Amino acid sequence: MLDAITLDVKAGESVAITGPSGSGKSTLLSLLAGLDVPSQGEILLQGKPFGSLDEDQRAARRGALCGFVFQSFHLVQDLTALENVMLPLELQGKANAEAEAKRWLQQVGLEARMGHFPGQLSGGEQQRVALARAFVVQPKLLFADEPTGSLDHANGERIAALLFEMNRATGTALVLVTHDPQLANRCDRQLRLEAGRLRSTDSDEAVA
Amino acid sequence: MNDWLRIISRPWRDSAFRVLALALFVASLALTTVLLLRAELDARFTARGAEMLGGDLLLDSSRAPEPAQREIIKRYPHTDIIKFQSVVIHQDQLLLVSAKAVDEKWPLLGEIELSDARFGGNFRTLRHGPPAGEAWVADQLLDRLGLNIGDQLQLGQASLTISAMIRREPDQGGGFYSMNPRLLLNQVDLDSTGVVGPGSRIGYDTAMLSDQPGLLKEQLASTLRPDQSIEDVEYQLERSMGPLKQLTLWISLGVMLITLLCGAAIYLTTGLRVARRATLAALLRTFGASRATIIRRLLGHELAATLPLVITGVALGTLITGFARQALGWEGPLAAGPLEWLMVLLGPLALLAAFALPRLSALVQVPAVQVLNPHGSQNLRRSGLELGAALVGPMVIAAILTGSIKDLGLMLLLLAGFGVLLPALLWPLLLVLDRRSRHWSVTSRLAIRRLSRRRTTTLPLMAALTLAMAILTLAGQSGSGLLNEWQRKLPASAPNHFVFNLFAADQPVLQQWLERHDARAEPLYPIVRGRLTLINDVPVRDAVSKENDRAERALNRDLALTEEQQLPESNRVRDGEWHGTRAGEVSVEAELADAMALKLGDVLTFVGSRGEMQATVTSIREVDWDSFAPNFYFMFSPGAFTEQDATWLTSFWLAEGDGRRVAELMEALPHITLLDVNAILERAQSIVTQASQATSLLAGLLVAAALLVLLAALLSTADQRRNDQQLLRALGARQSLLRKVNWLEFIALGFSAALGATLIVLAAIVPLGVMLFAGNLPWSIWQLLPLAMGCAIALLGGVVGRRVAGGQ
Repeated sequence: MLDAITLDVKAGESVAITGPSGSGKSTLLSLLAGLDVPSQGEILLQGKPFGSLDEDQRAARRGALCGFVFQSFHLVQDLTALENVMLPLELQGKANAEAEAKRWLQQVGLEARMGHFPGQLSGGEQQRVALARAFVVQPKLLFADEPTGSLDHANGERIAALLFEMNRATGTALVLVTHDPQLANRCDRQLRLEAGRLRSTDSDEAVA
Repeated sequence: MNDWLRIISRPWRDSAFRVLALALFVASLALTTVLLLRAELDARFTARGAEMLGGDLLLDSSRAPEPAQREIIKRYPHTDIIKFQSVVIHQDQLLLVSAKAVDEKWPLLGEIELSDARFGGNFRTLRHGPPAGEAWVADQLLDRLGLNIGDQLQLGQASLTISAMIRREPDQGGGFYSMNPRLLLNQVDLDSTGVVGPGSRIGYDTAMLSDQPGLLKEQLASTLRPDQSIEDVEYQLERSMGPLKQLTLWISLGVMLITLLCGAAIYLTTGLRVARRATLAALLRTFGASRATIIRRLLGHELAATLPLVITGVALGTLITGFARQALGWEGPLAAGPLEWLMVLLGPLALLAAFALPRLSALVQVPAVQVLNPHGSQNLRRSGLELGAALVGPMVIAAILTGSIKDLGLMLLLLAGFGVLLPALLWPLLLVLDRRSRHWSVTSRLAIRRLSRRRTTTLPLMAALTLAMAILTLAGQSGSGLLNEWQRKLPASAPNHFVFNLFAADQPVLQQWLERHDARAEPLYPIVRGRLTLINDVPVRDAVSKENDRAERALNRDLALTEEQQLPESNRVRDGEWHGTRAGEVSVEAELADAMALKLGDVLTFVGSRGEMQATVTSIREVDWDSFAPNFYFMFSPGAFTEQDATWLTSFWLAEGDGRRVAELMEALPHITLLDVNAILERAQSIVTQASQATSLLAGLLVAAALLVLLAALLSTADQRRNDQQLLRALGARQSLLRKVNWLEFIALGFSAALGATLIVLAAIVPLGVMLFAGNLPWSIWQLLPLAMGCAIALLGGVVGRRVAGGQ
């Protein structure tokens, strides 16, 4: 599905990946995040290859270094907003999970909705919880898959603003998969995936 | 044809439909089997009860019925039976017999079984009484008078020829033996005997047949004289079929539970079906389909696809009934009438109507706009109709199952009450856990929240599992209690021979014979024949109301009295205390004591063969008349019979073999009376075996139904489980954590249900003990069953839950 792709993402850099449906954007994202393993080639995170790790080691590495924001939020429905944000820290065995989670929920403006369950929150609020959950581990790399795709224009704008603001504030590298050209324009670099090959939109040349 | 096949086979591609179909099949199978078998049992009980009574209704009098009663009686097929005690004479030997003179219409029901020799003769069954001039007699009469078939005997002034030996009488009533041997003669010979005249003490029974015995009973009831009473089949069954009735009650309860569990599985899987088909419904609406089209295409096809399952379940249930009939040797056509067959078909449909249709009907309400919102199906609201149907449905099924709510009333009320109350009680507990879990580790929190945050799945599941465990425990405990009770009464070595009229000098001879043939002997009881004459020095005729039928019967004859230091196993002291060391104590059977208004401290005077005996009532006993053991109305403390002529009674078990061993005993002790109850025992033992097989089948179906509910619940939450699992993995969760969450969830579910079931069992045990086990609380290992099932659920859920979620 993906063919001879080489992609380097630097610390603090934001990269947008665009492309038509079925071009392999989600597959690329899942490979980059170590959710899946490539049949050929290698993915390195902070210079260390994913390929040599087993599933649990990959999960641990992902949990420590990566954050995720999805189109359909993917909050755990059985946990409150606060517990959802605490979750990645707890999975890593961090002691101060609650305090950290509260701080991040305040940052996204949801201090009054911490005890609510996802079903009790609006789409925009759920995505803000997802943002707080993604940044709470202070990831080196944040993957965002159509983060505004399920939101109306106003809410989409707010989430996008929050995402780039937090990205800049934390120095986290951002890999953003989107159809939205405006959102892609806000990134430092834009890449387009077509027929399994990655092209830079600036030079219109294949990245690899 | 191909279209139909396509319609019927299409839903099978959906895993939710497969579980639904399986649940419906199990319910149809269980319902059909129990309804058909119950029809068989009812028909046979009623026929047997009527046969034992001699008709559908029996008018019991001490003289001929009044002309007005005759007018009513002659409208129905009937027979008159005259019963009396008399003495027969043979070569200067006298013997008191229980004579029965029958007319040409006797017996109305059943057949009489005769033999042409005392031992090993040919058997034959007939549907009429002896011809004029002949007598049919019991084996004891032949033994005690040393007579053979073909000999003459003298009854009053008439000489009758003994033409057969009675093996079994059709209208023998409750007990299987009486102290006096039976002599059956034709009523036309009665005048010539001269033993029955004006003032003679006789029993005048009129047995009648009627399709509406209730109506006939009502007509006769208003005309009864004080000496008359009416007995019906129900009364007879009450006396003789009690344990079997209780067992059918438990079987009905078990099937009710199977049905409800299948209902729960159907409810859960239907929810999933609706969610999966909502988009299709919306799409059809978008293309302009009317509601009628949606009903036809979605609901109609769904129903059409389930029908073959119902038919297969019914067919297999009928087949099982056929096998059961064959195993039990029941002949003739199936007893189920049109009503039973209607119920067999209505049961599964009622289940569908109660648990599937209300949810499926939500598809009709799906708006076209939902086609634009893929998550819209989650918003399909549950209607009040669902709750109503879920409450009414089980009631309909219960009514179908029991035939009368009265039978299961108390138990159902209790269980239904707990079924609603318990989830309501467990829910707050889960909420507390929900809140407490905020402070627990992420693993425990995730596990508990899966239960506490998914109440529409957790509550029916927990209620179903709790009830399954509770009823399985209660049914298992009571059913096995009843079976154990039967098996205790009917062990493989239950006495199969009874010996009467044994003298003290005969005991060594009998002992040697028993040892020689490896026969197992039971205790010996001394027997004195006596009549109660005074109660607290008041003549018994004045002391006891003559209108009391039972008391009247007990007083009208010599009773077999015994003395014994040990309380027999089949007896239980209700009031007072069992014999101490003092002489002059007597223990009275409870029903007779109540009928005669006897109480502790009353002084009773009996007249025996050698004068009076006096004793004080020190205990009142409940007696299990169904036990295969000698039972007595009056039991004295040792020493009461020192002045009396006593004979002895005992029973023993003798292995199967030829008649020569018994003939040898009769030769050595020709004056004793020997009663062979092998035929009755074999029948009873075969019923116990069949009943225990039936309970095993039922338990198997119950467990299958409970597992179906669990499977349905797992399936209906599979998508969410899969999503959660993938999300947790993305966020860095280890496999071990996911496994732990899954295990903890089902451990919490299994043990919550086990806790609830244990509470129900404990709450039900008291009324159960009172109702079925004479006040004894039936503590047993069965009470650990909920815990064991809780472990099984934890194990199964732990393994299957991960598989359903995909594991990756």
